[in-house]
Amino acid sequence: MNRRKFLKKGGMVLSGTVCADGLLLLTSCNPSETTKENRLSRHKWGMVIDLNKCKPECTACMEACRQENNVAFHGDKRWDIHWIRKVGIQERHSENAGEKMIPMLCNHCENPPCAQVCPVQATYKRDDGIVIVDHHRCIGCRYCMIACPYNARFFNYKDDPDWPNKSYPKRSHGVAESCHFCAHLLDQGKRPACVDTCEKIGVKAIYFGDLKDPNSEVSQLIADTPLKRIRADLGTEPKVYYKGL
Amino acid sequence: MEVQFAKIEGKSGPFYLATGLLAGLGLAGVYATYLMHEHGIYLSGMTNRVPWGLQIAMAIFYIGLSAGSLVVSGLYGIFGKAEYKPFARIAAYLAMLFLIAGLLSILTDQGRIDRVFVEPFTHFNASSMFSINPSLYSGHIMICVIYLWALFKEKGKLTKIASLTVCLWAIGTHTGTGAIFAFVPRELYNSPLLPPSFVAAALSSGAALMILVIVTLFRATRRKIDDDLIIWMGRRLLAVFLLCALYVMLIENVHRVYLMASREAGLFFLFGGFHSVLFWGGLIFFGSIVPALLLFIKRTGTSIPWIVFASGLVVFGVLCERFLIVVPGLIHPPDLFPGMEITRSVIEEGIVQYSISFLELLQALGVFGIIGFAFLVGLRVFPLAPKEARAEL
Repeated sequence: MNRRKFLKKGGMVLSGTVCADGLLLLTSCNPSETTKENRLSRHKWGMVIDLNKCKPECTACMEACRQENNVAFHGDKRWDIHWIRKVGIQERHSENAGEKMIPMLCNHCENPPCAQVCPVQATYKRDDGIVIVDHHRCIGCRYCMIACPYNARFFNYKDDPDWPNKSYPKRSHGVAESCHFCAHLLDQGKRPACVDTCEKIGVKAIYFGDLKDPNSEVSQLIADTPLKRIRADLGTEPKVYYKGL
Repeated sequence: MEVQFAKIEGKSGPFYLATGLLAGLGLAGVYATYLMHEHGIYLSGMTNRVPWGLQIAMAIFYIGLSAGSLVVSGLYGIFGKAEYKPFARIAAYLAMLFLIAGLLSILTDQGRIDRVFVEPFTHFNASSMFSINPSLYSGHIMICVIYLWALFKEKGKLTKIASLTVCLWAIGTHTGTGAIFAFVPRELYNSPLLPPSFVAAALSSGAALMILVIVTLFRATRRKIDDDLIIWMGRRLLAVFLLCALYVMLIENVHRVYLMASREAGLFFLFGGFHSVLFWGGLIFFGSIVPALLLFIKRTGTSIPWIVFASGLVVFGVLCERFLIVVPGLIHPPDLFPGMEITRSVIEEGIVQYSISFLELLQALGVFGIIGFAFLVGLRVFPLAPKEARAEL
């Protein structure tokens, strides 16, 4: 191929790429912005965690989540995945400050920065408010992890041989993930695994329900109790509330 | 006088050695990428807390380098400085290669490379800087191709239009690249000054690299070059870009430390660990102050070896700057609980460590090898380099 042909063909290929990109830019729309009424949009799921009830050394919610969702664990903090984790905090520069253990998970923000930055819309907000990852679409760019202000998103850096729950898929290495409020269980009319387990062991520190239903337990708690959300000042509108923070 | 362009002969021992070495590096990079994508990218130095590392730093370094090359090319194309016409082709060709290198670095850093050629097109997200930028980059490459064609065909009007378009597009490309970081809620990323700072550093590193490439190429192929051309590029172009970059960086850091909300993060950036050594030693002292002095002092600023040395330092400084854009903002934790400190966790919270793995380094060298190989082969296949370059035509 001579220079003239090379430049001509190269130019044509690249023009095509750019025109296709431009067309997509003009025609793209965010599916999470749909306003049509549907089965999902009748709900807006939210969570309240009562830190006064949560036992500091209890990890039942973490274990239940790992078993239900096949969350990878490698025994190395750098690459372990925790859809829900417990974080110990205490007041800075205070000698007598007591430690509080805070269960942290994806906040399912109303304005999720992770979905905003995902270049392939693999992370998106469902009509019921759940922020979820399509693992078949994620390209593994990890921009969502950069954008999440809560360190709530994780990446499958390597494969985990364990597969405790055969009725739920595993993720291959190379994709990002985070808590999805056990959307697969919610779709069957069940509750998230952490909520169920916390109640089963008699602690009942995690409340879960429909924020659109004024009579739901979570709506009542939000209306009647002083609750806090983590870094609500960032404008992300988290849907996980804490009592006693 | 008409500028004569010619292919290089490319039959000498050093030419074959250099192309062989670069091709070898490229293959090694391909193998490293294969290993990572077969076994998982934990083999890089990245972790859940530091999900971007060397490859992203290299990507933005390469993309930045393309800017300066285009400016040098634009001296002829836009401003009609005929004495810089000899460098126009080679600058435009290099700009194109740097953009390809940037895209290659991003591509090899993805967890699922197999999906990269489908999903971004079928599920484009107009609100993501990571969606917008590849469009800017591919558009940029396309305009570079048109510009190169216009230069080869000596089409005066089209050259002018393409040159202007490519320079304006470059501002968009580099602003967009800075915005990848500036538009996310992280203390050391979120800054409206980051995009202009990125553009300024891009211009200085690109101009410096052009000086390095031009002088090396002319010396290696024993072509004549007028010293005044290089002196003007060093003292008028590079020095001004360098001062602009320093100015924006100064404001950015003072602003960070001045505000209480970002003071802790700002101090961490300036004095918090190994990255601070890169900042003060690599970027400020060796990458900015020393080359600025070398260029401004008349004796060294008019000596080609010193200008080349200063240019090398500037490129090194901007490489440090690119690393400093990406990594410190990740090893510094987001403030999850203002006024509180984290005592324990099952994941890495607080300040974490990041170290480059051998395979990650090999990937970065691989991208360098591929574009270096393409550059040398290009010199042999296309008449990119002038037979001589004189200050007065």
